[in-house]
Amino acid sequence: MERISFDDQIQRNKIKSFLLIVIIFAFFIVLGYIVSMILDPSYFFIIMIFATIFSLVYVVAGYYKSDKIALASVKAKPASRTEHRMLYHAAEGMAISSGLPMPKLYVMESEEINAFASGRDPKHSVICFTTGALKKLDKQELEGVMAHEMSHIANYDIRFMTLTAVLIGMVSIIAQVFLRSLWFSGGRNREGKEQAILMVVGIVFAILAPIATQLISFAISRKREYAADASGVKFTRYPQGLANALKKIKNESVSSLDKEHRVSKAMAPLFISDPFKRKVRGLFSTHPPIDDRIRKLEVM
Amino acid sequence: MFMIFWLVGLGILALLASIIYYNRFVTLENRIGNSLSQIDVQLRKRADLVPNLINSVKGYAKHEKGIMKEVTEARKAFMGAKTMEQKVEKGAELQHALKSILAIAENYPQLKANENFLHLQQELAAIEDKVAYARQHYNDSILGYNNLCKKFPGVMFASIYGKSAKKYLEIPQEARAVPKVEF
Repeated sequence: MERISFDDQIQRNKIKSFLLIVIIFAFFIVLGYIVSMILDPSYFFIIMIFATIFSLVYVVAGYYKSDKIALASVKAKPASRTEHRMLYHAAEGMAISSGLPMPKLYVMESEEINAFASGRDPKHSVICFTTGALKKLDKQELEGVMAHEMSHIANYDIRFMTLTAVLIGMVSIIAQVFLRSLWFSGGRNREGKEQAILMVVGIVFAILAPIATQLISFAISRKREYAADASGVKFTRYPQGLANALKKIKNESVSSLDKEHRVSKAMAPLFISDPFKRKVRGLFSTHPPIDDRIRKLEVM
Repeated sequence: MFMIFWLVGLGILALLASIIYYNRFVTLENRIGNSLSQIDVQLRKRADLVPNLINSVKGYAKHEKGIMKEVTEARKAFMGAKTMEQKVEKGAELQHALKSILAIAENYPQLKANENFLHLQQELAAIEDKVAYARQHYNDSILGYNNLCKKFPGVMFASIYGKSAKKYLEIPQEARAVPKVEF
């Protein structure tokens, strides 16, 4: 029965991704509506047309270019077959054992052990490892992490998670713009109940939206990490590999996040372990506690 | 009148189910075929590395003619294999012969330090992993297919379409021991 539940999860991810696109689209339209109502209703149509075009471009770009955006934001370079032979061997092995097409491989400069996968489907997928991971992980550990990333690809987590990253990025930018513009334009236009209500709605929306999307994406991301750990083991048949890699990540010095290669907050859920190494656990953590993950792997 | 509706409805349902199950059988069979060809690809890659390996060993270990001949013959036997079962069997024999050629390298420090040889050794180890993974994927695919064939209601459609459970890929006993390659 496991096979079926696996397919179910893929189906659910595809539906969720589609819903997310609809939400992003609707978000812009509603935003355009609110803005036009507050500023001046006579601009309604122009603003709505702009909002529609902008949201279409945003959604299409987010869908087709998300992997490129993600890679560019961490300054990743394509991995070379001669220099990163271990990485290619691990990826080829995992591609065979999972039956997935070979992903494109990238490497990003960072001392800490980390990796992420992105793309819109298994045929257009990328996997990026940090140089620290390539240096510090041995073959089994590398394969374990690779299998974890491959299962994100197989489950269509990458599509959903990258879209979520795009959504979070967008909502926080717009909310900022919105709040700031309210400071300047507030009170100059028509007085009245209607406008006051719209303004309150606008402010509440601008404050709540980023928090809500963040919480949703984190909750989803945490569940996904367990699932990817489990199905990754199905590819390697060697839970100890990933468990050892997670142990190495855990024992890394916390301050290893170097300033010049800062990772955007929106990207955090994509990585195998939280690049911010936040100590706080609970609603706001993108990843389940690493000890818990290791424990689960060790009893497999 | 009411009965007719029910019958038509049932007929449509049965048709839909048979289409879905037919496609599932085809998908899973394709997956099996694909994973089988992966095994083939990896076995072939290994065989292709053999002449290279022989050449680099020859320069340092001239006296080990017996072992080299054994490997060359194992390769020849593999290249001559027609069916997949033969290929897997001969591939395992080649693997066994390669194991001994890698073992004698221990006695020749210069050979062990040779860059070309080291590279080949790594490639062979990686291929060995890939063969194992390909076999694992093949057996997983067979498992999925057999589950479909034997579970209800798949078992009904299996008999309609004339599908039956397939055999797992048996690993020859001696091939189970993974060659120890130290880096």
